Amino acid sequence: MTSTVTAFAQVADFARPPIDWHAVAPELVMLSVGALMIIIDIVKLERAKPYAAALSGLGFLAPLVPIATLAIDGVASEPRVMFGGAYVIDGYSLVLKALFLIVGYLVVLLATNYVGEGDYWETEFYNLLSASVLGMMVMASARDLITIFVALELLSIPAYLLAAWRKRDLKSNEAGLKYYLMGVFASSIMLYGMSLVFGVTGSTLLTEIGATLDDGIGSEPAVTLGIIFVIVGFAFKVSGFPFHTWAPDTYEGAPTPVTAFLAVASKAAGFVALMNLVVIGFVEREEVYQPVIFFIAAGSMFAGNFMALRQDNIVRLMAYSGVAQAGFLLAPLVVVGEGPEVAATAVSSIVTYLVIYAAMNLGVFAVILAVARKTKSGEISSYGGLFDYAPALAVLMTLFLASLGGLPPLGGWYAKFGIFRSLLEPGTGWGYTLAVIAAVNTVIAFGYYGKIASRMWFDAVPDDDRTRIVVPAALATALVLCIAGTIVSGVYPGAVTHFTDVELLAFR
Amino acid sequence: MSEFLRSYLTVGLFGALAVLVVGTFLGLSSLVRPTRPQPQKYINYESGVDPVGTGWSQANIRYYVFALLFVMFDVEAVFIFPWATRLEAYGLFGLVEMFIFIFILLLGLLYAWRKGVLRWI
Repeated sequence: MTSTVTAFAQVADFARPPIDWHAVAPELVMLSVGALMIIIDIVKLERAKPYAAALSGLGFLAPLVPIATLAIDGVASEPRVMFGGAYVIDGYSLVLKALFLIVGYLVVLLATNYVGEGDYWETEFYNLLSASVLGMMVMASARDLITIFVALELLSIPAYLLAAWRKRDLKSNEAGLKYYLMGVFASSIMLYGMSLVFGVTGSTLLTEIGATLDDGIGSEPAVTLGIIFVIVGFAFKVSGFPFHTWAPDTYEGAPTPVTAFLAVASKAAGFVALMNLVVIGFVEREEVYQPVIFFIAAGSMFAGNFMALRQDNIVRLMAYSGVAQAGFLLAPLVVVGEGPEVAATAVSSIVTYLVIYAAMNLGVFAVILAVARKTKSGEISSYGGLFDYAPALAVLMTLFLASLGGLPPLGGWYAKFGIFRSLLEPGTGWGYTLAVIAAVNTVIAFGYYGKIASRMWFDAVPDDDRTRIVVPAALATALVLCIAGTIVSGVYPGAVTHFTDVELLAFR
Repeated sequence: MSEFLRSYLTVGLFGALAVLVVGTFLGLSSLVRPTRPQPQKYINYESGVDPVGTGWSQANIRYYVFALLFVMFDVEAVFIFPWATRLEAYGLFGLVEMFIFIFILLLGLLYAWRKGVLRWI
């Protein structure tokens, strides 16, 4: 009875939580844009369709304004902390928010013609896309188990719907259903893990969890199980081995712009959550997460690369290539327990990789979309003789693939270099072993990237149809932005690292 | 055994007790009652009405849409009830916040209405 009384007394002293409006402005702008788009849809119905893509594109660019003002305001050196440390706006979260918004914008560019020309719901497509990106933006700032979970659901649920967007196509239905079932399964495992971690540490704040685990409390098997379950849950999200099986089917069936979105933005959000959890929360429990992440990273590289060698469909190939790249991205998390400097290098190398990966991977999907406009096929054999009739696309595709493989002087080379550096810097056995595995896999990857390139340059055109491919303006813009990002980040990496040289710190 | 696991012992004991009690009563009654099997007794119980067709028949998709809309109002109610009990403490801030919340949820209903979901054809 007394406890109830005190609980009411606490509510009676309710004070409005201080909200730093400037710091949450990017999310609020994104939310307002989403609401505005729904209102326009409600009022104008079919007449809103022609503006949907343009409005949504502007909607993704608008939150970049508050992000820029926050950056000018010096958030990178003086982070804004809200809700007792559950929501942190620092350099790390700002650069990731900008990345998610730009990826969202590029996906709109990829989708404009695809969605406009198909018999698909248009305004809803862009609405769900912006809802998903809003979830990703929240994820970048989330430093609390509940906030992370809410952000994860906000970014996942629209993505399940988007994967099944071609609703009269059985493959797309399969894609959506598989993605949904696997995603919900992963969410439930993760939630169980989170409840175990909360049960032992007594807090949902990552900083509190980190401090409690640092004090030696929480050596119970329950917290070990909790950490493993949480990591496994996100391994589903980033399609890491052995939880990658949904990726090829979902990527193949989903509309290609959505595939690009899943392969880049959704995957990046999973890595952001993993970084937040491992680097701030679990960092002291090295003996638990190190072997788990080592296994997932090494397995992803081998499984992704070897399966990719056998694929005939280019989207499935890109799915397996994405699994292998997920292995690369996970690798630096193995060594984050070696000290704050090592963790800082690891985090900035992962963020750099995410930015460069976004440019080159979206570029590949843009070329796939452009080629599919003529060939109506996803088979790799349909790329035969692409250089004969679409030389520009063939050159761009070759550059993107070379960058994914890691050839200097393209961006992928610098991204991989950063990963190797962060693995070798601490000088531990785990780091060296994983670096060797990564090096071996870099070589294997050239097998299938080279296969596509050789089809385009050396094979004959399969059906002798040499009509030129007309690339719509939106798609061409996306291609230019992606190739610029890919080349600039390789020739002058400082342009990327200037933004991505961020640290992930614990704030209370 | 840690305190954490010991507290689960209570759960286990209650579970065992439940199985025991139900098992005893059902077992005893099966010993004393007469058994007269009739086919009618094995029909699925469906609110007293004889079931028609198979269990795998398709339901109209509209029921699903209405269920979804119901969830919207349900979520609204879940948040409004605790807010309403402490409205005075939250003051103007709480009022404005709740109106923003209701407005955003209302967009969903307006959307459904304008897209013709509420029409029963």
